[in-house]
Amino acid sequence: MRTRFLVGMAVILAMMLAVSGCAKTQKDAAEQPLSFSTPEPQAGEPAMVDSAALDAEAQKAFDALTVNKIYFDFDKFDLKDESKEVLKAKAEILKKYGDWKMLVEGHCDERGTEEYNLALGERRARAAYEYLVVLGVPSSRLKIVSFGEEKPAVEGSGEAAWAKNRRDEFKVFK
Amino acid sequence: MLRRALATLMLLLAALVAGAPAPARAAALSIDIFGPGQSRVNMAFTEPLPLAPAPALPPEAARFATLVRENLGYLPFLHLVPDGEILGGTRMPGVVRDDIDMRRFQISKVDLVMTTGWQPGADGSRLECRVYEASSGRLVLGKAYLRVDAQGLVRVADLFCSHFMEALTGRGEFFRSRLAFSRREGQKREIWTMTPQGRDLRQVSFLGGASSSPAWSVDGRYLAFAHHSVWQHTLAVWDSQTNRIFETKVPGTTIGGMDFMPDGTLAVAMTRGNMDIFKMTRDLTRVGDTLVSNWAIDVSPSFDAEGRLMAFTSDRQGNPQIFVKDMQTGREERVTYEGKYNTSPSISPDGRLVVYSRRTPEGHRIFISDIQAMRERQLTFGPGNDEEPAFSPDGYFIVFSSNRSGAYKLYLTTRHGDEPRALETGGGAATHPAFGLRGD
Repeated sequence: MRTRFLVGMAVILAMMLAVSGCAKTQKDAAEQPLSFSTPEPQAGEPAMVDSAALDAEAQKAFDALTVNKIYFDFDKFDLKDESKEVLKAKAEILKKYGDWKMLVEGHCDERGTEEYNLALGERRARAAYEYLVVLGVPSSRLKIVSFGEEKPAVEGSGEAAWAKNRRDEFKVFK
Repeated sequence: MLRRALATLMLLLAALVAGAPAPARAAALSIDIFGPGQSRVNMAFTEPLPLAPAPALPPEAARFATLVRENLGYLPFLHLVPDGEILGGTRMPGVVRDDIDMRRFQISKVDLVMTTGWQPGADGSRLECRVYEASSGRLVLGKAYLRVDAQGLVRVADLFCSHFMEALTGRGEFFRSRLAFSRREGQKREIWTMTPQGRDLRQVSFLGGASSSPAWSVDGRYLAFAHHSVWQHTLAVWDSQTNRIFETKVPGTTIGGMDFMPDGTLAVAMTRGNMDIFKMTRDLTRVGDTLVSNWAIDVSPSFDAEGRLMAFTSDRQGNPQIFVKDMQTGREERVTYEGKYNTSPSISPDGRLVVYSRRTPEGHRIFISDIQAMRERQLTFGPGNDEEPAFSPDGYFIVFSSNRSGAYKLYLTTRHGDEPRALETGGGAATHPAFGLRGD
């Protein structure tokens, strides 16, 4: 009986200690400031391919990668049939030029708000990225970035300008 | 018998006296800035006076009067009565109640009278500020400040106005707050800070590219923001105490907004395959808990003061709408049903209201929803686009960006939709405003 009593008391004591410990941990967390130190400098930015230094055939391939953009409907990120054809051509070129990598930039028109547009731009870039991977381009040779509405291709308002700004652009780097 | 009747009568009288209300006394003047019918009161100022035996006013006196008037001009519930409208003038023999001729203010329909007295000294002046109710002579607020000099004048004016607003409304954070925003210069956008009155304008980021989505920590020490370079998005934090910026690559490709939680941890919307909302670790290099996970786009987290509720934007039902998540139960509830494009939510500190931007045929407009009553109201009416609203720490003011004048600038309104007032942010488009408390 006495042993039972002592065990019971010990359990209650342990529970009290656990509860007070939890409370303290929570309090400490709330009072703890952010703790960070500046990380080591990262490797420099990738080098863009200098098209002027390419021979005629490579320059043509380079232009086919960078000049042809793909376009999207408002608030949409699904690839149109003509966009898929453009991406197929790019995939073939990337397979031929094995040391080239491609940056896919997602862009939006000015009508949305910035944070949502950044997410939408990312989806547009990712749609192209995933299609290229399906076509056999290694993911290690692709990189995506979203600019949202930050870098319009065409200034101005109206559907003609907006349609040109809802796009993916492509840059080549090594 | 007669004695008993007299005793009964006395008892009845005593009971009547005891039960009678106290002599009529005017209720103290207060303003319910959160109620539906916000009242407006008239306020006047007596001429600043030297406190006896000081011979003259210090040079700071006139500037202080201007600063206080400028500050109080931001409060839509105050009408500042010009000195010329006070019959008999505003010069009084002294600064305390018995010196003030309240009748001349009453005649001019003034509700509040402010007096200032100055005692110049070798290491700054002693300043006494008082505000009285003109009708009753009751002292609403009395404050004394020591060693006031030109350098500290703005701070003293802000302190006094903060205490005064608190005495009237119960909340005085506005005059202790500051704004962060993104300002464009050419192809770059950097983060700037200033007080809501446009003072202490300061550039805090120099990263190039585009910096946006600023969010203050609850104590006002840290300012987190997103930085977009040509290649990637990074998370940056400015420590206002050390004036240093920490920048790190987040474990995701795109940042879609952020907010500090009351316990000091940072919640960030970012893409890890999909745009969701995550808690970051204290060193901001790793992801902690997932706060919102859905196949859809989830961006723009905003927390109430206790961290009970989080508002965010999600397009999980076909187009972007505002949702609120109960952080205890995990329940996510849709707030907006009108319109097909509702984004950029900011939840009030008390968790009752959410403001957001809705795309309408006329452009973006700011709307506010009472999430308990599920009632919605339009706060702004353009022209142009009104976007990115953010609550002040007192939950009364709302700052937003708008291109109503051509370029994007910041504007201040209230939860009641008072006439928007343009804020001076210097050159370049100003967007993404965020309110925080001053950490100093």
